[in-house]
Amino acid sequence: MKHLLTLTPALVLFGLAEPAQANRVFVTNEKGNDVTVLDSQTLEVIGTYPVGNRPRGITISPDGKELYVCASDDNLVRVFDPETMEELHTLPSGPDPELFVLHPSANPLYIANEDDNLVTVVDVKTHQVLAEIPVGVEPEGMGVSPDGRIVINTSETTNMAHFIDSESFEIVANVLVDSRPRFAEYNHDGTKLYVSSEIGGTVSVIDPATQQITKKITFEVPGVLPEAVQPVGVRVSSDGRKVFVALGPSNRVAVIDGETDEVRDYLLVGQRVWQMAFTPDEKYLFTTNGNSNDVSVIDVASEEVVKSVAVGQQPWGVVVAPDATAN
Amino acid sequence: MRLVLTLIATLAAGPALAAGGTDPDWPCIQRKQPHLSLGQMWTGPMPDEATLQLARDSRIVALAERLEQRRLPMDQAEAQIAAFAETADNMRLTALMQAVLDRIEPDRSALIGGIARYGNRQVALARRIEERRATMAAMEAAETPDFDAIDAEERALDWDRRIFTERQQSLTYVCETPVILEQRAFALARAIASHLTD
Repeated sequence: MKHLLTLTPALVLFGLAEPAQANRVFVTNEKGNDVTVLDSQTLEVIGTYPVGNRPRGITISPDGKELYVCASDDNLVRVFDPETMEELHTLPSGPDPELFVLHPSANPLYIANEDDNLVTVVDVKTHQVLAEIPVGVEPEGMGVSPDGRIVINTSETTNMAHFIDSESFEIVANVLVDSRPRFAEYNHDGTKLYVSSEIGGTVSVIDPATQQITKKITFEVPGVLPEAVQPVGVRVSSDGRKVFVALGPSNRVAVIDGETDEVRDYLLVGQRVWQMAFTPDEKYLFTTNGNSNDVSVIDVASEEVVKSVAVGQQPWGVVVAPDATAN
Repeated sequence: MRLVLTLIATLAAGPALAAGGTDPDWPCIQRKQPHLSLGQMWTGPMPDEATLQLARDSRIVALAERLEQRRLPMDQAEAQIAAFAETADNMRLTALMQAVLDRIEPDRSALIGGIARYGNRQVALARRIEERRATMAAMEAAETPDFDAIDAEERALDWDRRIFTERQQSLTYVCETPVILEQRAFALARAIASHLTD
């Protein structure tokens, strides 16, 4: 009993000091041809691992067992063990894979092929190509609805968001947005779709039910030339209340109220910020800064940049591993 | 204040076309970012008229000129900024940042103009190489080929090709330079901003 009593405060203290789990953060370095792995708790670099030529898009399976990397110049997707960073196998991707999205059920993978105007659908278990869907010119952004029924692809030159049926692989709707759409992201309950337009400098808020644009978010950063404001990556918190938009060479991340879709703040991060990823508990948001070769860490609750961590050459994509399951 | 900013933005705004990757004057793989602005690297106070005046102060200008030099390693630049910050308030720090940008931005813009001319010369040279090839093919196909003339044309073609290839290789380095200058400005801004007081 006495032992228990002395142990308990220590356990409580320990529990309080480490409420969150440490997750691995994976950053693709487009020019370095490698992935930098960080620890989400200490925010220190664990290691850097070669992953093929010109790695850009990156994602991880919901069980945390497979890490997928678009090796753009190898014209395939490389699959790694996230723990050891050993390559497990590759997946056919079509030429120049840039970004992709994994179906919420963990299969299949929908890949944008920038050079040949296709979205390639690959079964991650059988490693077979299931379909090649013709879309607009220079497909890039990929999103998926929370219920997994609709996949979104944006085409940079055609300036459209294509709504694709995730099972029949047919395009069911097209929405014209502003110039050079780069990224598509649904909110938590699938009632809003955010599509960023890099050259247009806007984010279109689309009602997925009617496929109508309900609002265009514009950005005006004090002291920054309008041409430097180039929206790319978009992330929405799991309660839909906070939307973060990476504004490219303006080196800022816009913080948006997810209910009113009004911009609340512009956080200075690193140079040429493109992609972002939350930790599973949404304590932190990581941003990749391609020109300052670092990752900025945003504290989501206080909406402040708390740290910048040097990574490899030209960081592009980022994903955080899910919490380990207790088994 | 807002007016001043808008004015600066309007005056400095370059062709919006550039960033789209469709600019014929931009031979680089990097996205063209024609101009830098203070807000891209600075969350401190925006300079007012008095601060802009102070940015022309000889001591601040001299320090900005030293900091801009890329041969000055960043740790030494940080030490010089720290020494300056010992007696500098937020206004003087902001003036120093403005003075740094006033030096880096024109250099960078001039460089981008140079890259456009370089790119255009490469396009012209590529066209000349094509023309020489066509001329040679026509000469070789002639009923009585003039072999001396063909040899001369071939030598000229070899030279053009060699110049083109070498210039193309230097282009990789040349294209990196605007990014390097942007990185320098950003790193100096971070160092100066670290001394701002609330």
